[in-house]
Amino acid sequence: MRSATRLLIWIVVALALVLAPLGLPPFAMTLLTEAVILGLFAMSLDLMFGYTRLVSFGHAAAYGFGAYACGWMLLHTGMPLLFAVFAAGLLTGFIAIGVGWMCTLATGVSFSMLTLAFAQLLYAISFKWTSVTGGSDGLAGIPRTIGPFGFAALSSKIGFYYLALGCLVGGFLVCSALVRSPFGAVLRGIRENEGKTTALGYNTRLYKIAVVAVSYGLGGLAGALYAPFAGFANTELLFWLLSGQVLIMVIVGGAGTLIGPVLGAAFFMLMEHQLSALTEAWALYFGLIFIAFVLFAPEGIWGLATTRLRRAAPRP
Amino acid sequence: MPLLELDGVTRRYGALVALDQVAMKVEEGEVRAVIGPNGAGKTTLFNVITGTVKPSAGLIRFADQPIAGLPSHQICRLGISRTFQITALFPEMSARENARLAAQARHPRRWQPFGGARIFREAQSLADAALEQLGLTGVAERPAGLLSHGDQRLLEVAMAMAQQPRVLLLDEPTQGLSVEETAQAVDTLARFLQASRMTVLLVEHDMEVVFRLAHRITVLHRGAVIADGAPDQVKADPRVQDAYLGGFA
Repeated sequence: MRSATRLLIWIVVALALVLAPLGLPPFAMTLLTEAVILGLFAMSLDLMFGYTRLVSFGHAAAYGFGAYACGWMLLHTGMPLLFAVFAAGLLTGFIAIGVGWMCTLATGVSFSMLTLAFAQLLYAISFKWTSVTGGSDGLAGIPRTIGPFGFAALSSKIGFYYLALGCLVGGFLVCSALVRSPFGAVLRGIRENEGKTTALGYNTRLYKIAVVAVSYGLGGLAGALYAPFAGFANTELLFWLLSGQVLIMVIVGGAGTLIGPVLGAAFFMLMEHQLSALTEAWALYFGLIFIAFVLFAPEGIWGLATTRLRRAAPRP
Repeated sequence: MPLLELDGVTRRYGALVALDQVAMKVEEGEVRAVIGPNGAGKTTLFNVITGTVKPSAGLIRFADQPIAGLPSHQICRLGISRTFQITALFPEMSARENARLAAQARHPRRWQPFGGARIFREAQSLADAALEQLGLTGVAERPAGLLSHGDQRLLEVAMAMAQQPRVLLLDEPTQGLSVEETAQAVDTLARFLQASRMTVLLVEHDMEVVFRLAHRITVLHRGAVIADGAPDQVKADPRVQDAYLGGFA
């Protein structure tokens, strides 16, 4: 793709996202905001799954933890929205250092099982620790506290959309700088041949722990946005089903591309919305779509789109 | 003073003694071959020196510093680089990127999580020099997984060289190559070794390769050193003939 074409596409997409609130009805804005939040969540997993080949079966842990942490702070501390969201994301990333340390004791499938175990542990805790988590009812009535610094605009429906969009763009900038940096080159080495990366003199475990922390931190940020967006946080946000769904978003969108998983998340939401209006067994049909992608387009939506554009553009 | 010195190095796996009181000294600039029948402990010796396997007993000194028991990434950073018996590369990266990642491992800011254009440039210049030394400049842009077997073996050596090591450990550099590929690879290696005056520890099965490249030979048999000397000396040693031919010679 020529850089001029690419720039043009980026400008159009950016304008469309920024101007969306002017043209879309409220219910569509709600869907779009949720897609942006889920897109950030899927993108965070891509750092681990797409760039480092660390398969997390428990990424819901990050999302749910961020949501509960943010919800609890908004309910009980009177912290303003903006601070609670970022504090919850940071807290998730910080705790994920410990999770990463534990999980990277194992590799391959055992690593994935450990991530799942951590997520299930949090899921169980969310049920039992009623005084903090609200048990099976979850946390309800989470406010979008404005706080003393006058971020009132962010707590409106449209303002919140811009907050989520800002987090997505910020997350994208952080991730793309990371994967292009020397650190990212090492991650790619781990993805292709971890044994060789170690033999070259890299302490691969530290790199893996770091990428788990960043990935969970951004996943936690997404969850922290979800709690005040929906007004509640419940145990479903920690359930393994969500961990599976986010993996599907990454794969369908195109792993190892950052943009792809965001598209995958939007595609997933769109399909869920459209198919569930037609049939109760929508997950079955989405499963078929997923299988079709794995078989016929393993590079995902973004991979399909970029090869098309590359073919359409005249070669220099 | 030898650059690499082993004394009484032993490695046991249960009742099996893979390395038995191995002692050897490798001088700076020397090309030393370690030979021996299958299961003699040659690869274990490499693993013990590079720290992927801990010795059960014994001392290993590198540049007058004890290294036995250090983690492998630290040993590597002191200046010991190795290749593997079974080709280990990053198959989807180009040969240049493979060598660059190898060179980056020696950079003090190899982990920088943003930017890094300068780090990449510095690593790339070391990498390109190493590729040139091993005659790989012409195929440098190709994905490593698509190179010929011979070039893949040489790329491994180039990656080790891009790290500017003080000692290079080559584990069967012609493993899995056809006769013609072996001849070509050995020509390239011989030229490179002569030009670089690198200190090399070489494990090799193919005796022709050994006699062509090595200045000095150490013979391992059942984990123990049974001979050590110049190639002609070792070739004539009756114990060596015994070990290789099972006493039927």
